[in-house]
This record gives sequence, C-alpha cells and structure tokens, in this order.
Amino acid sequence: MTDSSNENDQGQVNYDIMDKKRKYALLIEAHSQDLYKYALWLCKDKNMAEDVMQEAFLRAWKSLDSLREAKAAKGWLFTIFRREHARQFERKQFQYQDVEEMDTLADATMGYDDRPEAFALRNALKRLPQDYREPLEMQVLGGFSCDEIATILDISSSAVMTRLFRARKKMRQILGHESAPQLGVVGD
Amino acid sequence: MNCLEFKRLALSDPNSGDHGFVRHSKDCPDCLKYVAGVRRMDNDLSRSLDVSMPSDLIARLQLNQEMMEEDAGQQDDFDASTGSGNVVAFQPMRRYAIAACLALSLFVGGFLASGQFSFNQDIGSDYEALLSGVVEHMNEQAVTPIWDANKANKSANTLLASYDGEMKLKFLSNLQFSRICPMGQYKGLHASLETDDGQVTFAYIKGAPVGEMLDAGYEGYVSRVKPVRGGNLIIMSRTNKGLQQANDQLEDAMYWDI
Repeated sequence: MTDSSNENDQGQVNYDIMDKKRKYALLIEAHSQDLYKYALWLCKDKNMAEDVMQEAFLRAWKSLDSLREAKAAKGWLFTIFRREHARQFERKQFQYQDVEEMDTLADATMGYDDRPEAFALRNALKRLPQDYREPLEMQVLGGFSCDEIATILDISSSAVMTRLFRARKKMRQILGHESAPQLGVVGD
Repeated sequence: MNCLEFKRLALSDPNSGDHGFVRHSKDCPDCLKYVAGVRRMDNDLSRSLDVSMPSDLIARLQLNQEMMEEDAGQQDDFDASTGSGNVVAFQPMRRYAIAACLALSLFVGGFLASGQFSFNQDIGSDYEALLSGVVEHMNEQAVTPIWDANKANKSANTLLASYDGEMKLKFLSNLQFSRICPMGQYKGLHASLETDDGQVTFAYIKGAPVGEMLDAGYEGYVSRVKPVRGGNLIIMSRTNKGLQQANDQLEDAMYWDI
C-alpha cells in the first residue's frame, strides 16, 4: 500500500483503510517529537519521560483500531499520554518532588536552552497554577486549538479561553513585563 | 470589537482567525503591537522548551510494539495448542515446577552458605549496593520472560544504544531476555543467559567501576561484580560453573565502540 492510496481527495490521510502497522509508524513519525517535548516538560526527568512515552505508545497500539481520523490522532495520543502520566505520577510522586527541587540543574541536564531568559520563561510557566498552566502547555507545546484542548481536558471551550487568558496574564506578571517579554531582555 | 475585547482574545488565542479580531488588528496599530508581543512570548516560551528526542527512541517505540505483537502471537499459539480446558490442567504442573525450582534454590543456597566455596564474604558497600540492587530487582520480577535469541539480542542492542552508546554486545545465541530496569538505586541492562547449568542473570550498570573484581556468595547466588569500561557487570548464577560460562561468554561478546 502506498502513501497516496491512504489519502482522500483533500490529501487527508485516511486511517480507516490503513494497515495497523503503517498507521502506528505514521503516528510515531508525525507526533513523537512533539509528544517527547511535552513528556519531558511534564515528567522533568528524561528516563521517566521515555518510560511514560513508551507505555503510552503501547497503549495507543492496543487501541489503534479505534482511531479513524488522522486529524484526531494527535489529540488522541496526548490524551493517552496524559492518562499514563497520571498513573505513573501517582506511583512516583516522591521522586518527582526530589527532581522539582533541583530544577536549574535538571533543566541543563535535560537538554533545555540554558540561557537565563529561557530559564525565566520556563520558570514562569512552572509557577502558574495547574489549571492555567495545562491549557497553555497544550497550546504552546502541542499546538492545539482551544476546541481541541477543551476535548482533551473535558471542559468547555469558554473555560479553556478563560484559563488561557489568565495564564498569559499571570505569565506577564511573573516576568515583570507590562508589555510582552522579549527573549534577551527577560531577567536583565 | 473594541480594544479591550481584542486584548482579551489576544491573550486567549493570539492566532485566532476570528473576523473581528483580524480586522481590528489591521485597524488599530496599538493592538497589532500588543498581539505581536503575545505571539513573541509564545514563540520564546516554545523555543525555551525545545529539546531533541533521543535518536533511538523511535526505534524503541517500534521495537516495543513488535515485541508486544510477538508475545500476543505466542499467547495465541499457546491457547490454540492447549485449548481452554487444558489451561486449567496446566496450572498445577506450573506450580509443581515453581515449587521444584524453589526447593532447588534453597538446596543450592544452603550448599553455598555451608562454606563449600571460598568466596569473599566481606563485601564492601559499593559491591553490596550493586548486588542488592540486582537481587532486589530479581526478587521483584518473579518471572523472567524467555525470548528467542534474535528478539533478545535485538532488544539488548536497541536498549544499549540509548543506555550507553559505547557499549555493544555481539550476538549471543543463548541470550533469553534483556531490558533496562531499575535495580535498587541504579538503572541498568538486565539480561539472562541460558547455560548448561541453568539460567544466569547478568546486569550491566553504568557508572564508576568498582576497584577490583569480586566473587561472592550473595542471597543464595554465586555472584561476580566485575569492573568494566564505564560501569560494572554483575553476574548472578546458581552455580559456579554457570557463572564461569556466562563470564567467558560475556568477555567475548562485550566490546566498546569508541
């Protein structure tokens, strides 16, 4: 089966008629990088991010038949990941707190940009209340629309909009900028 | 849309395609500047969270799926060959086999503890931590899966690539299992070899190598902690012969690509 035979008139990948292995390979190819970025940010630990991600992909494989549309794939995968992360988080909460305390060191070892302005932005995000932080992470890291975030978080679109508004407002307050912060001046 | 409504939407969804939002940004230079600032903050935040994915993670994701599929296939074969009624009859046999293994372990453990072997029993804390980590993990994982050699070797090499890019393992025809596992305070490659004297477990744990090789009777096992480049190799066997065979094989199979 070729790639083109999996596409409909709009050039949209048609998962419904695709071989399961091919579907899985496409899922990995298209979304693993974004998911890893999100996973590492959530887990704050490389090994754990990889473990949770591997487990999430295995769960995705098991229920891959239920995924029909390619455009829904990313949201579907992130939902599986978030559930798996929640399961692991319950089990490993103690280690998590240890990691949180040494975040400056951890950031560098995890491969993040180590410039102070980048650290300040990450730190501002970390300091947001979870309800505000979650949708912002999804919008910025996952590139999801408000409606998609609403589906993943199982809340209304207007609630997502409100949380995003408050999240960005709070970020700006934390960063100490009335106007939008610019990379290079934050923390100066 | 007035400026206040615009700014509210800019903070909620700076890339909104809403007609009123787009039009207002064209008509009002202050608001255009405002939304540009919000977008810049988003871009900077996204860049600050950029990380590159480990190069072998995709291979591992695919390998996990292949293994799961193989395991499911083997389970299907097993179900088909036994039939649902025979599975129930099969359980007591498995229990007898486990009981026999335990009895044998106790016998061998007692034999070792009786001082028949001249192993060094005075174990230093470095050695103790490594051994206890491996044994703790072995006890936690009561059943070690037995894979065919191809699968076990493929898994070992894929996992090693992410765990320690320099350490490689040549094909071992009697390798039965390999996985990266937590072992006490460490995390390392856990694998098992089928030898003439039964299954031998070995672990490769990255870190500072211990000073010298040590053989010790530990928790009913004949064990060896061996410093290697970039870490330690721990071999756990029920017999001295099994330990020696595994050691010789690993000495030939392990190499460092530097």
